[in-house]
Amino acid sequence: MPKKVLLVDDSATMLMMEEMILKQRTDYECVTAKDGLDAISRAVVEAPDLVLMDVVMPRMNGFEACKRMRMEASLSGVPIILVTSRGEEEYVETGFQSGCNDYITKPINGSELVTLLQSYLGQ
Amino acid sequence: MRNVADSPAEYERKVSTEEVSDQAKVYAARMRLQNALDQADALDAIREIAGNLIGTEEVGVFKVDKKLSKLWLYWSLGIDPNKHAVLEVHREPKLKQVLKGKAVFRPRMPKGNLLTTDDPVSALVPILVNGNPVAVIVLFRLFPHKPGIEMVDREICEVLSNCAGRAVEPYHALTQAKLEHES
Repeated sequence: MPKKVLLVDDSATMLMMEEMILKQRTDYECVTAKDGLDAISRAVVEAPDLVLMDVVMPRMNGFEACKRMRMEASLSGVPIILVTSRGEEEYVETGFQSGCNDYITKPINGSELVTLLQSYLGQ
Repeated sequence: MRNVADSPAEYERKVSTEEVSDQAKVYAARMRLQNALDQADALDAIREIAGNLIGTEEVGVFKVDKKLSKLWLYWSLGIDPNKHAVLEVHREPKLKQVLKGKAVFRPRMPKGNLLTTDDPVSALVPILVNGNPVAVIVLFRLFPHKPGIEMVDREICEVLSNCAGRAVEPYHALTQAKLEHES
């Protein structure tokens, strides 16, 4: 059974790009959500093997969504990777405090993304 | 990109993934712009493309006057609009090149800036409608971790150049321009 990745971003451009890269270079199944709130409900229903989530989003940002997912028993162990435009130490630290496992900076490098996801999910 | 520990097969796999990634970026940019609903959505598409695919959150869209002598700021993100309200073409040699329809990019080790401002300018991209420049997208400072404009960014800028007309021209004006161009 293919591993399932939940892609979370309010940008249709980002979702399209991430989905294209993962579909062409991995066997992962992709599901999408458009903000943090949507992500939590999708994650509960879809039970993804990994969440790749933007930080800056309307309604609920990635940090908050990450914290809430960690409070859900079914999602507490799911790897969460945050996508950020800022790689500053303080910002990254906030991400780790919210419970994320890793982060990747924009603009996304496809090879880096695939390698990172494979390090959590295998090939 | 190549790590010394990579085997030839691993290196090949990385290169291939990079190609897919670049194609995905260009495709996503084109789809997003072509599916923009209206002017506001097209401007939002420019914001998304600049921030997510190229790597800058400092952008200005300048409309060109009919004489191609002045550009005035029409929309911006992350810059001081008062500082960049108007660009005079006679003072900006690079803009003359851009108004001929070709984007101009800042080299990685620049000796000077693309415009006479102390804010670093990474790219000047004309928005073309039927081959004529109607506006210029100015991409200012890139994210600190982004070393410079890359080949894929140039391709994305070409998409911006050819598909972002709706951001500055209402739909009926674009249709009219197309009809005039065809007749």
